[in-house]
Amino acid sequence: MLTRLVVYFAYFLKTSSRYQNAKLFFYNLLENPYSRLKYYFDVFMISLVVLSVFLLVYEVGKIPSEINRLFEQVIVSIFIVEYMLRAWLYSDSHKMILEHYEKAQYLNYPFRLSKSLRLIAAKKIEYVFSPLAIIDLLAILPSYRELRVLRILFLFRLFKLFRYFNSLKLFTGVLASKRFELYTLAILLGFLIFIGSTAIYLFENPAQGGQVGDLFDALYWSVVTLATVGYGDISPQTPGGRLVAMALIFTGLCVLTFFISIIVSAFNDKMQAMRINQTYAELNRYESFIIICGFGRVGRHIARQLERDQQRFVVIDSRKASVDMARQQGYLVIHDDASKNEVLINTGINNGATAVLCNTGDDVINVYITLTSRHLNPEIRIISRANNEENVKKLYQAGADHVIQPFEIAGLAVAEYIGQPVAFEAILGIIQEEKHILMEALCVHAGSFLEGKRIAELDFEQRKLVLVGVISANPVHRKHKNSYPIKNRHFYFNPESYFELQAGDLLMVLGRDYGINYFRDQIEKSRLKAGGGR
Amino acid sequence: MKRIAVFGHSSMSLQVMNRLNPELYSMIYIGTNELDADLVAEAGFEAAVIDFRNDDALRSIGIGDDVEILFCFFAKDSDNVFLTISARSIDKDLTIIAIVDDPDSAAKLMAAGANKIIDPYEICGRRTHQLLIKPDLTTILDETVFGRHDLHIAQIEIPEGSWLDQRKASTLKLNEKHNLILIGVVDKELSEDLQFVIGEKEHTLDAGDVLVVLGPAREIRLFKEEVENV
Repeated sequence: MLTRLVVYFAYFLKTSSRYQNAKLFFYNLLENPYSRLKYYFDVFMISLVVLSVFLLVYEVGKIPSEINRLFEQVIVSIFIVEYMLRAWLYSDSHKMILEHYEKAQYLNYPFRLSKSLRLIAAKKIEYVFSPLAIIDLLAILPSYRELRVLRILFLFRLFKLFRYFNSLKLFTGVLASKRFELYTLAILLGFLIFIGSTAIYLFENPAQGGQVGDLFDALYWSVVTLATVGYGDISPQTPGGRLVAMALIFTGLCVLTFFISIIVSAFNDKMQAMRINQTYAELNRYESFIIICGFGRVGRHIARQLERDQQRFVVIDSRKASVDMARQQGYLVIHDDASKNEVLINTGINNGATAVLCNTGDDVINVYITLTSRHLNPEIRIISRANNEENVKKLYQAGADHVIQPFEIAGLAVAEYIGQPVAFEAILGIIQEEKHILMEALCVHAGSFLEGKRIAELDFEQRKLVLVGVISANPVHRKHKNSYPIKNRHFYFNPESYFELQAGDLLMVLGRDYGINYFRDQIEKSRLKAGGGR
Repeated sequence: MKRIAVFGHSSMSLQVMNRLNPELYSMIYIGTNELDADLVAEAGFEAAVIDFRNDDALRSIGIGDDVEILFCFFAKDSDNVFLTISARSIDKDLTIIAIVDDPDSAAKLMAAGANKIIDPYEICGRRTHQLLIKPDLTTILDETVFGRHDLHIAQIEIPEGSWLDQRKASTLKLNEKHNLILIGVVDKELSEDLQFVIGEKEHTLDAGDVLVVLGPAREIRLFKEEVENV
């Protein structure tokens, strides 16, 4: 009966969206390194820990006030809740139960709840004995009056900061990655201290006229000498003791150098990963951004223009020289291969990225990145560069929305310049938005004053704008002439005066920037006034 | 008919040669190897292989004689600079257009005597940026003006005695009468620069002024005939 109830409850949790959302929320709050919530929570906890330790130090030798006591209780309560939540997040108990239950059902043997509970308990105990959980617990325990003896453990609150400071976490990660080297060093160190202590005791015991009274003195002296600190409170008096001291100082220097080189090399190894993680974390805070794959000549031009537009973007390049160049410009850079699924996923192709620009100088790589991006996100905009004309089709097949050929565009520009230099200047002027003249597509929002209006009623001349055409997917316009099919829409060039605008149409207008912006504002205002906001 | 000599990169050269009207321009492609020359010749253009470092070889293809326009499309900027200097020393009036690989070389090419520098990568970057920020507009321009549809931007110079002489630009109403949109005017009374016609300033047209219009090829041709019919 109990087993059935537990299994039912496990299924309930599995299907409950409220439970899943709650767990996701707390995961984002406490564990997800890329979450903005966690960032705020970490800052809050750091402040709390520092404040609590400050109050403890302030209280030394004084009777704690009522407010301090209350504050302490609040802090400890928060620590306890945090501890419990982390224990809850550590493993999904209901999943473990269901996994065993379904396995038992499939293999047709009786399901034993006790076995699942044992596994769940083992998992939770694993959490309790994890280093950070121990620190958490030690930060809570001294608050209990019965355990006042543990007050010294308050210092463990400071260790709690390891949880919240990424740099501290990185340091522990570095130490962990060099575990083997550090063990070797520790064994060597232990061996040296053992030999040094024994030797100095033999040479410098009081019977020999030395100052080393017992083995603890010998151990203390060895450690102080090996660390090249040398307080001088115990100094060797005999020639044998001095020889031991000299030998220990030299070996101490070697050990110290070895230790520093291990740490430095570990940091070097981690630096790349640390930078990438930092970039991922930063991207995670952006609501939208563009991924530029390849920081060659085209990539650099695009980055410069996006920077001018204050658009957020990230550069991915596998060449170190390009990465260094982008970094010098102050851009967000990931030094990695953009064709790897993992790199694009971590960058945020499904989490904030609005477009992928494939700009490497190699069409093979561009096709591969395009394919990978399309596979990972069927909706994202992909603009790809084709260096050879024969690869244009392949890029479209791979999923590019637009393909740009540098030599084709340059060829067009040259041909226009030769044939019609003034027309060329006009095109260039419009494209580059020189003299603040631009061409813009303005949307006819539902409810705005444009909806249902005829072109003749709008008086573009008075607004100092030129209407070039209307882009629309609405079939009611099909009867008009000068229609050019473009993908799933039509472009109506120079529409007649009786052309009636419909919601969703786009007006293509030429004009000065503030003329266009003013017209756009009027459209927006009229839409809001009409209670649209739709 | 103007004579054009095209040097260098075969695919870039073909892009340009294919876009120029063969009735107005006679073009010769000069490759650095037989393979490139054959590729261009297969596309139906006159092609030859010469050493561009040799001035006599340059003269032999008509530089300093009938060649009026020179395209320098080598992949290396140093080759383009060398060809520009050589050609400029032979013919002071030659129009030289060069592409640039490294943006820093643009100034060197200008100093060498080039009239116009084209940076394919910059244009490509701009186009990509345009596609990002104005996707609708760029798609329309790509598909119509630059693409398969017959919308074009054209320039029309007003000849002496044309009916447009002394007419005000605002009275033309090209959109109503000719299905064309007047984009800009080079009003030589004011300056040699293009002025966009967006109703800000009145332009009185004179002979020698240039109109820039957007519209279907047929309408442009008819309007051009009408303007030039003195």
